[in-house]
Amino acid sequence: MDATVVVVLVVALALFFDFTNGFHDTANAMATPIATGALKPRTAVAIASIMNLVGAFLSTAVATMISVSMIKDASTLNPAIIFAGLTGAILWNLTTWFLGLPSSSSHALFGGLIGAVLASAGLDGVDFGKIIDKVLIPALFAPVIAGLAALLATRIAYAITRRVKEDDLSTGRGSFRYGQIFSSSLVALSHGTNDAQKTMGVITLALVAGGLQADGGHVELWVVIAASLAIAVGTYSGGWRIIKTMGKGLSEVKPAQGLAAEIATAATILASSKLGFALSTTQVASGSIIGSGLGRKGGTVRWSKAGQIVLGWVFTLPAAAAVGALSVLLVNLGSFGIIVDAIVTLAVIVAIFQIARRNAVTHKNVASEIEEASEAIVLLKRKKKSDSKGSKGRK
Amino acid sequence: MINIDWNHLLQVALAAIVGGSTVVALFSLGIRLLVNAGAAKLNSASGSISEIRKEAANRAAAYVLFALSFGAIIFGVLLIIPGLIPAAA
Repeated sequence: MDATVVVVLVVALALFFDFTNGFHDTANAMATPIATGALKPRTAVAIASIMNLVGAFLSTAVATMISVSMIKDASTLNPAIIFAGLTGAILWNLTTWFLGLPSSSSHALFGGLIGAVLASAGLDGVDFGKIIDKVLIPALFAPVIAGLAALLATRIAYAITRRVKEDDLSTGRGSFRYGQIFSSSLVALSHGTNDAQKTMGVITLALVAGGLQADGGHVELWVVIAASLAIAVGTYSGGWRIIKTMGKGLSEVKPAQGLAAEIATAATILASSKLGFALSTTQVASGSIIGSGLGRKGGTVRWSKAGQIVLGWVFTLPAAAAVGALSVLLVNLGSFGIIVDAIVTLAVIVAIFQIARRNAVTHKNVASEIEEASEAIVLLKRKKKSDSKGSKGRK
Repeated sequence: MINIDWNHLLQVALAAIVGGSTVVALFSLGIRLLVNAGAAKLNSASGSISEIRKEAANRAAAYVLFALSFGAIIFGVLLIIPGLIPAAA
């Protein structure tokens, strides 16, 4: 099959992946301001969409990390390998989404790509040092950093607005919801700076592999525009799900706590995007929600729930790598293999969307992983002080 | 060779913990001052000049703090655009 045709297939699939990423993550940014009534659902979704679009234009550090650093020499690769990696990522991502298993789109993407390159080019194909430095170490630390930042920010917000006198009428904490208009917009912006970049990186990788671009050191403007539009449209389309779930059991996140968590999330992601760390934005946001829950009086972690979430994260990369490697076996058969791989992927996409559409929208299948993370926190109102200190110490 | 750049990770931690806390602290102080202004307004119903002044001062300071926290966010966003702020390059 002509290399250019495969590159076109990669571009289409990568943009589809980008779209689903936006679709999936709208709730991460906008669920709380809608729940607290700070923004009308349609306004919130429109803002999230525009902010993602803007964010995607701000930097290309993460994209070039993928196209230059992670894969050693893309020009020696066949675009079919990138195609295989991408289908592996999409298959794993959609299957876990369908089964309700915690996962990370970003790690599925890296896993799929790494698995595909390893299966075709061997151990020398990928730069493990860069993967550890720019993907694995940030994956480990960024949620903890965001959690600590959110914990501290929540404590600060509550301390500053505490009642000084017994008869103080109001703490004004409800006003934090107006701040959330900005903080949630910032989360959407940071989402664009990190997640849209991953698509740009993969497309650039395919262009270099297909001989259509000399090296992966820069990202073509049309790639930036296409990727940012795909994530923005995805974000906008994902909005209906949030609108439908309102009142279906969003867990209680107070405005002050939500603002602290969102600022912590956005600061962590923005700084990481600047330095080319490719993060799972969902993991960072989950870390913040857990941290801010701990920052509230009597907040303590349900470790079994938190453990489940973390286990899902750990599993994603190797599992998607295995699917990516299997896809490579298929595409190595030549044009026939590529066509079969494309048909299998398309069939799974269509089947899962059909089934998902038929199922009723409920709290369980709509709520984001952030919701899952917030379930890992319990507030023990009358807990003894020494106990809550113990839980802090473990964090 | 695996070469982990802990310095970069430290920068992320600083940006999140120091930057995040600063923005939230400025905004929270603003809210606190608005509440104070509201209390002074209630007290000023009796016509007390000092309470009217107190309300105005608290409200003005609150808006300055809101503007500062917003400015801090904008500065943070501008920092990530390559070449815009030389010190961050």
